[in-house]
Amino acid sequence: MLTGFLLVVLAAGLSLFVHRRGFVGYAPAPAGLAVLHRGEAAFVYAVAEVLFPAGGGMALSGAEAGVAHAVDRHLAALPRAQRIQIRLLFHLIEHLTLLLPGHEPGGRQRFSSLSAAARVDLLERLANHRRSLIRLLFTALRSVFVLAYLGHPGNLEGLGLAPFEIDPVVTDAEVLFPRVGALPSSIPWDATDRTEPVCTPLDPEGPRHPAYARAAVARAGRSGRAGS
Amino acid sequence: MSPLAAAQLAVARERVRVFAQYDRAFEERCDVVVVGSGPSGSVAAYELAAAGHDVILLEEGPPFTTRDLELDGNLSMTRTMREGGLRMTRGTTMPTMQAVALGGGSLVNSAICVRPPDAVFDRWAARYDLDRTDRAHLDPHFDAIADFLGIAPTPDEAQGKRNLLFREGCNALGIPSEPIARNVRHCRGSGECFTGCRSRAKQSMDVSYVPAALAAGARVFTSVQVQEIRRSGRRVTGVSGQVVAPFSHGRGTSHAFRIEARAVVLAAGCTATPVLLQHSGDLANASGQVGRNLQFHPGVAIAGVFPEAIDSQFGATQGYQSLAFLDEGFKLETLWAPPPLLAIRFPGIGADLQARFAELPQIAIFDAIASANRSLGRVRKRFRSLQPVLEWRLHPDDAQILRRALHVISQIFFAAGAKKILPGVGGLPDVLHSADEAAILDSSAVKPSGLVMGGNHVFCTTRMHGDPKRGVVDEDGRCHDFDNLYIADTGIFPQCPSVNPMFTGMALARRQARTLSERL
Repeated sequence: MLTGFLLVVLAAGLSLFVHRRGFVGYAPAPAGLAVLHRGEAAFVYAVAEVLFPAGGGMALSGAEAGVAHAVDRHLAALPRAQRIQIRLLFHLIEHLTLLLPGHEPGGRQRFSSLSAAARVDLLERLANHRRSLIRLLFTALRSVFVLAYLGHPGNLEGLGLAPFEIDPVVTDAEVLFPRVGALPSSIPWDATDRTEPVCTPLDPEGPRHPAYARAAVARAGRSGRAGS
Repeated sequence: MSPLAAAQLAVARERVRVFAQYDRAFEERCDVVVVGSGPSGSVAAYELAAAGHDVILLEEGPPFTTRDLELDGNLSMTRTMREGGLRMTRGTTMPTMQAVALGGGSLVNSAICVRPPDAVFDRWAARYDLDRTDRAHLDPHFDAIADFLGIAPTPDEAQGKRNLLFREGCNALGIPSEPIARNVRHCRGSGECFTGCRSRAKQSMDVSYVPAALAAGARVFTSVQVQEIRRSGRRVTGVSGQVVAPFSHGRGTSHAFRIEARAVVLAAGCTATPVLLQHSGDLANASGQVGRNLQFHPGVAIAGVFPEAIDSQFGATQGYQSLAFLDEGFKLETLWAPPPLLAIRFPGIGADLQARFAELPQIAIFDAIASANRSLGRVRKRFRSLQPVLEWRLHPDDAQILRRALHVISQIFFAAGAKKILPGVGGLPDVLHSADEAAILDSSAVKPSGLVMGGNHVFCTTRMHGDPKRGVVDEDGRCHDFDNLYIADTGIFPQCPSVNPMFTGMALARRQARTLSERL
C-alpha cells in the first residue's frame, strides 16, 4: 500500500517536473507565425542565437535575419509529412537535455532555457557524435536554420551573392501559360509582346535583384542609426 | 526551336488546361496519352503530335512563368520538388529529388546534355539482350534533339571564374576537360538553373518541346495526378486520376478525370512510374522487375576556397566537366546552386560557421557523379499513397570510386590555386590545406558512412531487357506484358549511363515515339 502510494507520488512529481521544465513558461510567440507555436518559436530563437550570433562577420545575426519567420515560412510550404518530421526534430532536441543534461550546473533544462554556452555545448556534442545517425540529425537541424538564415536577402546581398537583376522576358511560354493558380484570361501578353532574346552575358558587377538591393539599403540604414 | 507563329500561338493557348479551369469531373479520348511532361514525355508528346496523332500530355505540376520562379532556393524546392525537396533514400541515407512542374526536371536542372560513350551501350547490349540501343542507332535522335534545343558547349563568356578555374586545374594536371554541352541558348550566366531560368535561355521543356507539341496539335493538361492505368486483357485502355491544386503536394485533390486512349506512354519518372504500375494492380510485372534494380549516380562534392573573390554568383550553373575518368567509374563537373543550399554542408557552429559563410564569394564547388552499378535498391509504393519508398545501399566498391573521385577533385582544386578545401566528409578534418593533406581522401580514413552524397539521377526501375522474364520493357519501350503500354523515362535504362541522363532519355523517347507512331 505504502509502496504504491510512493510510486504514485513519485510519478506525479516526475510528471510535474517534466511538465514545468518541458512545456510551460514559454514567452508568447511573435506575431505572424503560421506554423510554429510558442515553444517551437522559442527553440528556433535559441538555436539561431548560438548558430548565428551577432558580430560573426555576417551582415545580420540570426535574430536580425528573422530566422523564426523564415523557418515558419519553410514549414508552411512543406508537405505535411516533412513538416511533422522537422517539428519532431525540434521537440526532440528541445527536450533532450531534460534526459541528458550538459556538463554545467543547472543543465537539466529544456534547450531553450539553457545558457548560450550550454546550448553550444549540446550542439557540438551532436555535431561530433560517434554515431552517424546523431550527426545526421544535427546536420538536418542545422540545414533548416542555414537555409533560413543565409537565404535572407540582407545576408546574400552582404556577401555579394544576391541574384542578378534580369529584365523580364516574354517568350512563347509566357504567352501560353498563366501564372500559377490564375486563369488563362489573366495572361497579359500576346504574340506581339514577345521579346527578343538577350544575347550578352550579365555583368558580374552588375545590378542585383531589387528585393535584395532594398535589403542592402535597409541594412545600411540600421547601421547608420546604430552608429549615430 | 524557333518561336511559334502568332496564329499557332493563339490556337496552342486554347489547348492548355490549368488548375483554375477545372470546375467538374471530365473525360477525354485521344490516340495517345503521355503521363509526365519531363524531357522524355515532352519529346514523346511532340513527336507523336507532329506525326498527326491526337495526343494528351498530362502533368501533375503547374506551368511556371518567369514571375512564378522563386529566387529563394529553399522555397523554390518546396514548390518545384516532390516531398518539398526533402526526399531521402533508406538504407544508405541520401537525398534525391524529383520535380513536379510542367517540363519536369528540365525546369530546375542545369541542362547538361551528354551522349554516353560507346562502352556504356556495349555493356547494355551485352548484358541485356539489346540489338539497337547503341550510338549508331541513337545518334540520329541525339542529333535531331540537339538541333531542336540548340544544344552546344557552354561558351567561355558565360562560364564565370569558378568554372574556368576547373579548366585551369585540369590543365595544370594534364587532365582533359571540356565545356559542358547544354540545352541553353544565349546563356547569361545568372547561375540560377536550379531555381528556373528567368532569362528563358535554358530550353527547358516548358519553353521548347511542350509549346511545339501544342502547336502540333497536342493538348496539355496540367495539375492532374494520374492514379490508375486502366486495362482490358493485354491492352491498356487509358488512365484516370484527380485534379490536384498547385503546391498542395498531392493532397489538394478535387475533380476526377478519365482519359481513354489507344496507347499510354508512362513518363512519370523513374520513381513515380513503378509506383503507378504497382498502384494499378501490379501492372506489367510478370517479370517481377517493376521497382527493382534501382540505381543512382551518387554524387559527392568539395568546396574549394580561393585566395580572392571569384564572382561565384556569376557563370553557368554547371559549365565545365571532365570525362577522363569514366573508365574508373566517375565523371567530374563544376557546380553552383543557391548559396544557402551549398552552405548547409559547411562545418562549424556560431562564429566559425559564419566565417565559412563569409568565404562564399571565394568558393567554387566541384563534384563527381559515380557509375554505381553495384549499388542497388528498389522502389515500392507507400501504403495508400502514390509516394515512393526508396531503399538503396551504397556498395563498398562504389564507395571506393567516390573516394578516388574526391581525391582527384582535391588535386584539381589545389592545382587551380585553392588555398584550402572543405571536403565535407564525416570523420575527416573540416579543412584541408594542401594537396599532400588531401591524400587522406584516397585512404581508408574515408568511411562509406562518412560520405555525404546526393543522387538526382535515378535509373532502372522498369528496365529494358530483350528477355521478357528479366525486364519490364523491350527495346522500343513497350511493356512486355502489354501491346500498347510504353514507358519513356530513365527507369527503362538497364544500367546507369555514367553521364547525365537527360539527353539519353530524350533520344530513347524520340525513337520510341516514332516506333509507336508507326504501330498506331
